[in-house]
Amino acid sequence: MQRIFYLVQKEFRQIFRDPAMIVALFAIPFIQLLLLGHAITTDVKNLDIAICDLDRTPMSRAFTEHFGETAYFNVTVVEDDYRALSGLLDAGRVKMAIVLPRHFQRDLVNGSRPGVQLLVDGIDGNSAGVAMGYLASIAERYQVELLRTDPVLGRSLRHSPVVSAASRFWYNPEMESKVYIVPGIVALILLIITVFLTSMGIVREKEIGTLEQLLVTPIRSWQLILGKIIPFSILGFVEMAVAIGFVHLIFGIGVAGSIWLLFFESAIFILTTLGVGIFISTISETQQQALFVGWFFMIFAILLSGFFIPIGNMPDAIQYLTYLNPLRYFMVILREIYLKGTPLHFILTETLAMAGFGLAVFSAAVYRYRRVLG
Amino acid sequence: MKRRLWAIVRKEFIHIFRDWRTLLIIILMPVLMIVLYGYAITLDMRNIVFGVIDDARTPESRALLEAFSENGFFKPWPHALQRDEIEALFMRRDVHAVLVIPRDFSRLLTTDRRADVQLIIDASDSNVGTFVNNYAEQVLRKYNERNNRGLPLLFEISPRIFYNPDMNSTNFFVPGLVALILMLISALLTSIAITREKETGTMEQILVSPVHAREIVLGKVLPYIALGLMNASLILVSARVLFDVPVRGSLLLLGLMSLVYVFVALSFGLMISTVARTQLIAMFGTLMATILPTIMLSGFIFPIASMPAVLQYVANVLPATYFLIIIRAIMLKGVGLAELWSHALILTGIGTFLLLAATRRFRMRLE
Repeated sequence: MQRIFYLVQKEFRQIFRDPAMIVALFAIPFIQLLLLGHAITTDVKNLDIAICDLDRTPMSRAFTEHFGETAYFNVTVVEDDYRALSGLLDAGRVKMAIVLPRHFQRDLVNGSRPGVQLLVDGIDGNSAGVAMGYLASIAERYQVELLRTDPVLGRSLRHSPVVSAASRFWYNPEMESKVYIVPGIVALILLIITVFLTSMGIVREKEIGTLEQLLVTPIRSWQLILGKIIPFSILGFVEMAVAIGFVHLIFGIGVAGSIWLLFFESAIFILTTLGVGIFISTISETQQQALFVGWFFMIFAILLSGFFIPIGNMPDAIQYLTYLNPLRYFMVILREIYLKGTPLHFILTETLAMAGFGLAVFSAAVYRYRRVLG
Repeated sequence: MKRRLWAIVRKEFIHIFRDWRTLLIIILMPVLMIVLYGYAITLDMRNIVFGVIDDARTPESRALLEAFSENGFFKPWPHALQRDEIEALFMRRDVHAVLVIPRDFSRLLTTDRRADVQLIIDASDSNVGTFVNNYAEQVLRKYNERNNRGLPLLFEISPRIFYNPDMNSTNFFVPGLVALILMLISALLTSIAITREKETGTMEQILVSPVHAREIVLGKVLPYIALGLMNASLILVSARVLFDVPVRGSLLLLGLMSLVYVFVALSFGLMISTVARTQLIAMFGTLMATILPTIMLSGFIFPIASMPAVLQYVANVLPATYFLIIIRAIMLKGVGLAELWSHALILTGIGTFLLLAATRRFRMRLE
């Protein structure tokens, strides 16, 4: 018992001796949180657009004015020449251009449905799709407004039965992507810190030769493992607690559910990440290798976790693949507790899957580690 | 001069090839990422399950439900549902939304000519929330049009998509991946390679040999330039073969701009290696200063225009931001220097500045 205590003490000394390490441990995750929390957004704002109004009538002007009013679009160019538009797209000055045809108003009034042309830079397909959705709803609103206010056009509307939807958005009434993204980042920080610390901490001892010194002491291999695991899990928990406080302070996103449940689930998750860290250390000779193997694991764990790409959108074969990803379960659990306050019995399946996975990875890693040591 | 330089280059290559695990990951990772991205990643929703509370139970309400189910995007949840069960259903993630049709739905429709239905959406993922809402509005629009032959559609919007007509995410992703990998190899590997020599003490051994500082830097850097450019070509070729990602513009210009960008990344790596004493610190430093901003702030995945103003300023001084604009324009738009000269100029400017600063600092450190 005492031996383990000394090992833990040694590990903490090693970490806190190096000021750069403290920066790496505490400053970096929070810069990350700040950066990612604000940068990762699937909302589209301030999209530069050009408008080419070939009609120049009150109606065409009213139509274009609707785009200047929203936060989605910036009307940066008003162009008279239709042919200049593709040049603007080529140079990347605008991402979208709207062309109102000549006789827009005349055709609109006499019911021959003028066509409004939209030129779209489709390189960023997702943003373009979202922006076209916004544009369609702005156009729709203009149309409804015309039908309501215009005495001639509105006549038919008054006699038609119309159903409309009143939507209510639960858990995220302002519809901000950060509400969903930020709790996910907390999971990422926990993942990154524990995997890298464990794998690189063990490999460094191998690389500089102190591991062999430890091996000739009467310390048993399981004590050695515990001596590594305990400090790194403690650090993981501290990191997590600070992150939760930080998220509350900076982003105003609090934990809706039980914070104890959150920590309980995190403990199960840490079992997996420590296991992965130990496993990486057994297959790497140098810190650089540990870094790259860890990086490799994490990129795929993150991409296939539903962090910013919903798993439900992926093809079936890849969806099955995600069941092997422990981060996938933790992502769901964390967001459920954070946003909805979901109790344990509604996330039991995920918890059990994560626990089973964690136990398997952890025992395999420890087994391998002891064999490598022995 | 030439012989000494060559010796260092060869030594560095031996280091690279000896560590086959790192090499394998560097080569394999981008290709795997392309495959994953090409097949897996789309923000288009499918299979939205919605619960129904139909308090009206009239022919009109049933017709409305029919309209929701028939479009293929929405799937009705097959069980009956009470109002107080909605929360539990959302927590179990059984349904994404619940449609509530009020008791007086049909009456309002005939007397007031207007009736509201309520759509309660689990919006914890705002993206999903938006999609569900948009699709629901689309369904209602169709339903209304079908019921009212006379309802006018005043104008039509016909979009024409340029450069990437299918709005394919692979086309968007691959140029960014090139920028990321070049940064990863040039900045991260260089800084680690130099710090390792410091950590293990071999740097001092080289310093007492008759090699010039200039030759050390060049000898360290050249192999990684070669590795980076090779890897970039591999990405472009595999993206072309697997997913038909085109290079429409000049390959020569693309190569030239990549070289400028590689110099920027190398300068970063050199700079960090002069500060860091251990590999772990070099790694964290490089991740923070180069890799993370390249992924998050350069417009690689998330649009810069949607970020808060402060982050937009940061994005505007990142070399990756300019390189991404350039490489996407060359690959997908097929434009040349006529449209890109200002971005190319800024990138070259940043590159020259950083390279000068880094070599100066590096030489100072060595002497």
